[in-house]
Amino acid sequence: MARIRLVDLSLGYAGEPVVRRLDGVFAAGQATAVVGPNGSGKSTLIKALAGLIAPMAGRVVIEGASRREVAYLAQGGGVDRDFPISVEDLVALGFERRLGLFGGVGPAERARLAAAIAAVGLTGLERRPIGALSGGQLQRALFARVMVQDAPVILLDEPFSGLDVRTTAALGEVVRGWAAEGRTVLVTLHDLALARRLCGQALVFARQVVAWGPCGEALTPAHIETARKLADAWPGLEAA
Amino acid sequence: MAPLGLDLPGAGAAFGGGAALRWAMAGALALSFGGAPLGSLLIARRMSLMGDALSHGILLGAAAAFLLAGRDPVALTLGALAAAFGVTALASLLARTRKLPEDAAFAMVYLPALAGAAALMSRREGPEALEALLFGAAGALDRGGLILAAAVASASLIGLALFIRGFVAESVDPGFTGSEGAGGRLHLLLMMLVALNLVAGFRAFGALMTVALMMIPAGAARFWARGYAGQAGAAIVISALASEAGLLLAARSGIEPGAVMTLCAAALFAASGLAGLNGGLIVTLAGRRRLAGRALVP
Repeated sequence: MARIRLVDLSLGYAGEPVVRRLDGVFAAGQATAVVGPNGSGKSTLIKALAGLIAPMAGRVVIEGASRREVAYLAQGGGVDRDFPISVEDLVALGFERRLGLFGGVGPAERARLAAAIAAVGLTGLERRPIGALSGGQLQRALFARVMVQDAPVILLDEPFSGLDVRTTAALGEVVRGWAAEGRTVLVTLHDLALARRLCGQALVFARQVVAWGPCGEALTPAHIETARKLADAWPGLEAA
Repeated sequence: MAPLGLDLPGAGAAFGGGAALRWAMAGALALSFGGAPLGSLLIARRMSLMGDALSHGILLGAAAAFLLAGRDPVALTLGALAAAFGVTALASLLARTRKLPEDAAFAMVYLPALAGAAALMSRREGPEALEALLFGAAGALDRGGLILAAAVASASLIGLALFIRGFVAESVDPGFTGSEGAGGRLHLLLMMLVALNLVAGFRAFGALMTVALMMIPAGAARFWARGYAGQAGAAIVISALASEAGLLLAARSGIEPGAVMTLCAAALFAASGLAGLNGGLIVTLAGRRRLAGRALVP
């Protein structure tokens, strides 16, 4: 199992700090909801954990897994839907790290591919171009890709935004399953009820830690209000 | 009669003999195999004009080599290759500052490179010399050029075979490959393969015409296949047809081969847009008619 340690971590863009001096540990095998107002730096933090943003100061230490064993799902999917690729091929990209340059998709990978596609309810749509999928179907396919990656650390940036209740419930079960398997899962969320349902831990966040611990202790109205006030105090937060 | 019947009337005017035509046909075939699948990938990544920018950028190196070593093919190729790598690396560095999108970064680099080439060539050789670099010189593909084209085609196909999953992943979802730690390197590798193909073709067919044979068939292929693999295969076939037919027509007419090959590719693009099975005009109209017919049935 892998844990993530933040050591005096500061993050920002073009020399402007967005996240200041974070210290703490995302415990191994736990699902943590990262909660905060728009522009509070949640996505910036997730990108830094994924290795997409270099810290301005401090560091991110992933213990028990390599940097390449981190699965990341961007906000809004981050997918070019016009690219000529089928659902099956999109999900199979999750094998990229495991297969390396010379490996091919064999019977074992095909079985895992079919299982992942079935688990997210997309059986029958394997050959469909991703451009012909609904938003919910595409998000299901991206969850299947994360399954195929089989990573010990999973980072999900607002994975349920814009999804209907049924799809959110189905993919929420997938997230709970990952945590039950002992993977370290971080998921940014706005829905506090969903955060309590999916995650044992929560980080309430507004460029700095407001509260961090079990959901029952961290997701209190007082902490949420503090985060909102902190966010309101900074101009131009929407970019973060 | 020459093998394959390529001692065509007129070939002497355009190619300096049937042997040169055969070199050119073999070289163009090799470049079709190497360049067309890269063209398909560039179009899918919305980077169609990157090849065009690179094709202009390489001229600075070719012009400098021309001034230093004359028409020596090895020097011209090495000069173009150095410029291609320089333009790609500099544009990538500029794009990484995040101040400019990548296409704009390429514009900032290739336009000064083109201007530098124009200045060098016009001062010493006149504008005709620059035109030869842009549009090619008939019969310039010798044995060495053919070997280079074949080697580049092989390198391109091997590179695609090894890295295609990464190229596709980086195209569909840059954040995904970024999180896997390979995004920037894959992009640079793809641009280097494009640059190699342009360098291999520019002396014979011209920098502009080489990129045309990479991109126009790739555009036409989108009317024949839905997935990348099908589109890359169709692009190879269309590029090979356009270049071989273009060379034969150029040999008969005495017109510059690069231009005729490009026009042949454009004709195949138009035919694909009309008759292609994946969204061609005829298929689309037939589909609409069927839909209209269904709507009339209660």
